[in-house]
Amino acid sequence: MKRRGFLKKIPIAASAPMVLNGLPIGLLAKGQLQQVAASSGNEKVLVLIQLHGGNDGLNAVIPIDQYAQYFNLRPNIAIPDNGSRGYIPLDSTLDITDQVGLHPDMVGTKSLYDQGKAAIVQGVSYENHNGSHFRSRDIMFMGGNYDDYFGSGWVGRYLDYRFPNYPDAYPSTEMPDPLGLEIGTTVSLAFHRDNGIPVAVAANDPEGFFDLINSTGGLPPDSVIDTHYGQELQWIMDIEANSNQYADRLKEVFDNGRNTPSVTYPETYPLAASRLKNTLAPQLKLIARMLSGGSKTKIFLAKIGGFDTHGGQVESYDPTLGNHAALLYHISAAMEAFQNDLQGLGLEDRVVTTTFSEFGRRAASNASFGTDHGNAAPMFVFGKAVKPGIIGTNPDLLNLDGNNVTMQVDYRQVFTTILSDFMEASDEAMVRTLFDGFLDKKLDLFSKLVTSTRDDFIAKRFKLNSIYPNPVLDRTTFSYYINTPLMVDLELFDTGGRKIRSLVSGQQTIGEHRLTFDLSDLKPGTYIYRIKAGPLDTAKKLIKI
Amino acid sequence: MASLNPVTGTLGRRRSAHILRRATFGPNKSYINLYAGRTANQAMAELFQATTVPAAPADFENFKGWWVGQMLNSGRSIVEKMVFFYHTHFTTKEEIVGSRRALFHQNQLFRYYALGNFKELTKKICLDNAMMVFLNGRDNDRNNVNENFGREFLELYSIGKGLQIGAGDYTNYTEQDVKEAARVFSGYRNDEEFLTIDPITGIPASYVRNDGGTVATAHDAGVKTFSQAFQNTTIQPNTLVGEDATVAATLDELDQLLNMVFNQDETARHICRKLYRFLMYYEITPEVEQDIIGPLATTFRNNNYDILPVLQQLFQSEHFYDSDNAIVQDDSHAAIIKSPLELAVGTLRYYGVALPASGTQAFYDSIDNGILAPMNLQGMNLLEPFEVAGYPAYHQNPDFHRNWISHNQLARRYQYMAQLMSSMDNFGFQLDAVAYVENNISDPSNGQVIVQELIDDLLPEIITTVRFDYFLNDILLDSLSMANWTTEWFAYQGSNDDSAVRTQLESLFNALMQSPEYQLQ
Repeated sequence: MKRRGFLKKIPIAASAPMVLNGLPIGLLAKGQLQQVAASSGNEKVLVLIQLHGGNDGLNAVIPIDQYAQYFNLRPNIAIPDNGSRGYIPLDSTLDITDQVGLHPDMVGTKSLYDQGKAAIVQGVSYENHNGSHFRSRDIMFMGGNYDDYFGSGWVGRYLDYRFPNYPDAYPSTEMPDPLGLEIGTTVSLAFHRDNGIPVAVAANDPEGFFDLINSTGGLPPDSVIDTHYGQELQWIMDIEANSNQYADRLKEVFDNGRNTPSVTYPETYPLAASRLKNTLAPQLKLIARMLSGGSKTKIFLAKIGGFDTHGGQVESYDPTLGNHAALLYHISAAMEAFQNDLQGLGLEDRVVTTTFSEFGRRAASNASFGTDHGNAAPMFVFGKAVKPGIIGTNPDLLNLDGNNVTMQVDYRQVFTTILSDFMEASDEAMVRTLFDGFLDKKLDLFSKLVTSTRDDFIAKRFKLNSIYPNPVLDRTTFSYYINTPLMVDLELFDTGGRKIRSLVSGQQTIGEHRLTFDLSDLKPGTYIYRIKAGPLDTAKKLIKI
Repeated sequence: MASLNPVTGTLGRRRSAHILRRATFGPNKSYINLYAGRTANQAMAELFQATTVPAAPADFENFKGWWVGQMLNSGRSIVEKMVFFYHTHFTTKEEIVGSRRALFHQNQLFRYYALGNFKELTKKICLDNAMMVFLNGRDNDRNNVNENFGREFLELYSIGKGLQIGAGDYTNYTEQDVKEAARVFSGYRNDEEFLTIDPITGIPASYVRNDGGTVATAHDAGVKTFSQAFQNTTIQPNTLVGEDATVAATLDELDQLLNMVFNQDETARHICRKLYRFLMYYEITPEVEQDIIGPLATTFRNNNYDILPVLQQLFQSEHFYDSDNAIVQDDSHAAIIKSPLELAVGTLRYYGVALPASGTQAFYDSIDNGILAPMNLQGMNLLEPFEVAGYPAYHQNPDFHRNWISHNQLARRYQYMAQLMSSMDNFGFQLDAVAYVENNISDPSNGQVIVQELIDDLLPEIITTVRFDYFLNDILLDSLSMANWTTEWFAYQGSNDDSAVRTQLESLFNALMQSPEYQLQ
């Protein structure tokens, strides 16, 4: 595809700013953001979800406009374009070159999108992409170029600046919690500072952690010699001291926290053997609970592995089933539960969640029903603060680079946008994070100019149109639009609230539906027609003459 | 400057403990005393002796326990340490391989080549049944090349990735080389019946897919052209039948590829760096690269990739014993953080803790419950590292073995030390602090002697007098007098009621082993 659609969607900086009443919009937006920051005390939280192994973006987000080419590249694993296990058309209101289908097991993502709480960033990568898992993962953790070799990570550098003198000055009243929390048992490169122990604590069981810390260890050595042994000893001593500092607090927060009672997190993939457990859901559930318990931790990292699908990505007898399908289900279902949980806890405004993976996979599949290492892939950004939609355009499958999807967006543009526009990091913070080179390349992920952005987004995708003609003599045409297949009830009531007639009742497909009815038998007067369809529940007036 | 010049004279206790900690799964008191009176060469003569190949477990399902059993019983031999090294280098995951039998045969391969030729071992790994499954080698055929093994072969197992200097160019190899290597590796299949036997090792291997005769039916018989990084070498079959390579020509291509890769100096350097990080310290300064890695790599290549001369050169060097210069800041004595495996096996070996009779179900159960399960909590799921590159401690910049120490895992390590002393019901074995002291300390009635003799062996570096007083006065004596301990000890000897001394000795053992110092070797 041409880059036209992509450029259109990045209105920030590069070209001359739009002007409104003599004020550049960029500045206006910035002032408003700072006001928001001052009033909220900035309790913004970022949740990172690492998709370990290299997620196959093309089977998660399928380019509808190039379906034939997509199918030709990967006939043995292609998601079908029809049937009950066909891809889920995401949004038919978009330009055709941007329209995508989601994997049929990504119902949760579709639902979040329709609620205006999800964005997809297409074609994320970095220049001169590295085909090694480990190197590429490190690059994205450290926040560098392909040829950078930092010993620190971008999260570590940001939090090290945001909270000076870590770990000596902490815990403090302002920040009683670990600055970062990695769900698991080790701390990734992302959380490393340039010197000293990382800014994050690794934990997956705060209660157990507390008991453990309080029942182990002894007095530390009183001095440390200046050899390699001494350096390693100091490292261990620092981790031990840090554990002692945070153990009580983690338990307190955990005990004070709760999850929304009505929200059930998914446990397994329903279409396969029980061994395909959802390992992400309990991590997100823990994060929600910690936040509800008062945690001020700024950045969380959850991980889900298994994306290195060189073989057996799909089942040989059904390309919509298999390991990758289960993983996409896990992410979508866990994210939907997490978002609902946050909503129930009243925390939805504070949290943005984003996925990332070291690379996408080769556009062409291999014979083992899998895919080899590729390049660019989509990132998913979730949250109520997110401006819903798709950034970038569909990959151009006729112009691949060595059978790889090419880059549209540098991964640091996404992280810079989140830190700067959502977390409200200062420009100085971005300098210290080594992301200042991306401040003029931010993406349109958090538009605050129009407060009703999300409502408008939804209204465009789920709407009941006015009937025509109205007033009605005999025949009139009803029409509505839905952006997802739904149970639709369209009913006619009199002004006393009595149901006069059911016009539509049943499962309906995506798109605009137009139905003409003969209402000549109705008594003259005023009536109400009401539609119920998923997020859509609205009514309009009908006059019969 | 760092130097590989050989040290002279007897080792003494400090250097004896050092070589034993690095070359084996840990010494006991008598081992340390024995090598204290030997020279480095005398010590190596024993450490590097060939061992008899152990018999397979009766049931391959017990492979992991069997393997840990080999480590526990490996005495003063480097063989099992090298088997473990090769496992950290050529890591596979059981979850993907799905066959403990295949993993056992791979493990025997490591043992066969423990002190042998690394290039030969690499070739056998290319044909290994477990690896063939792990990195999709079995799925790699001429119509649909699967790059998984080809990539990791270059990136992890042989020449290693260098700095990325351009699109798809990793200095030592390029994306083109990954694709071409994958073509060389195409057309093999693992043997699920284990009937294909490698003629040299006698160990089951994979085979070239064929027509029942000599024709390789799935191998890409075309010309493979490598990049400038490999001097634009081409590899192709030396014998064709029509458009197909023969089975022999397919295997010959593997030799051509190994020759091409192992003819690069960087391959020898990469393996020597990994060995250095495993045996010495993770940080490789420009000085170490020049004075140590370079000469070791030269030795490696001059000996056609035999590993033994490299090990000998390192283990007898001034650099290994920190005597190559007067600077202390670069000393690496005791600077390796033990893996959970080394912590567990080393502790049991030091105290001579008796497990149930080897090979019995009780034996395997106690290794499962008392070693493998606690190791998992400490961050080491044996044969199931989180990623293809293996356990982060052996490759993950910038922390390397510091990856073993997280908030959680450190506490788990400490907890395990306490569990060892009350674990008979759960583990099927137990560390008896009183019995150990009674049988191994020269004068158990003297608290000072107990603390001194334990510290000498268990803590790898000299400690301050403040620290010593903490272990002696605060912990063992519970702030009471030396005479009181003597009284308590003799009361136990007279009554056989060990409850009083047991409490104090277990406190001391816990304090010594739940310490930052004990995590290092």
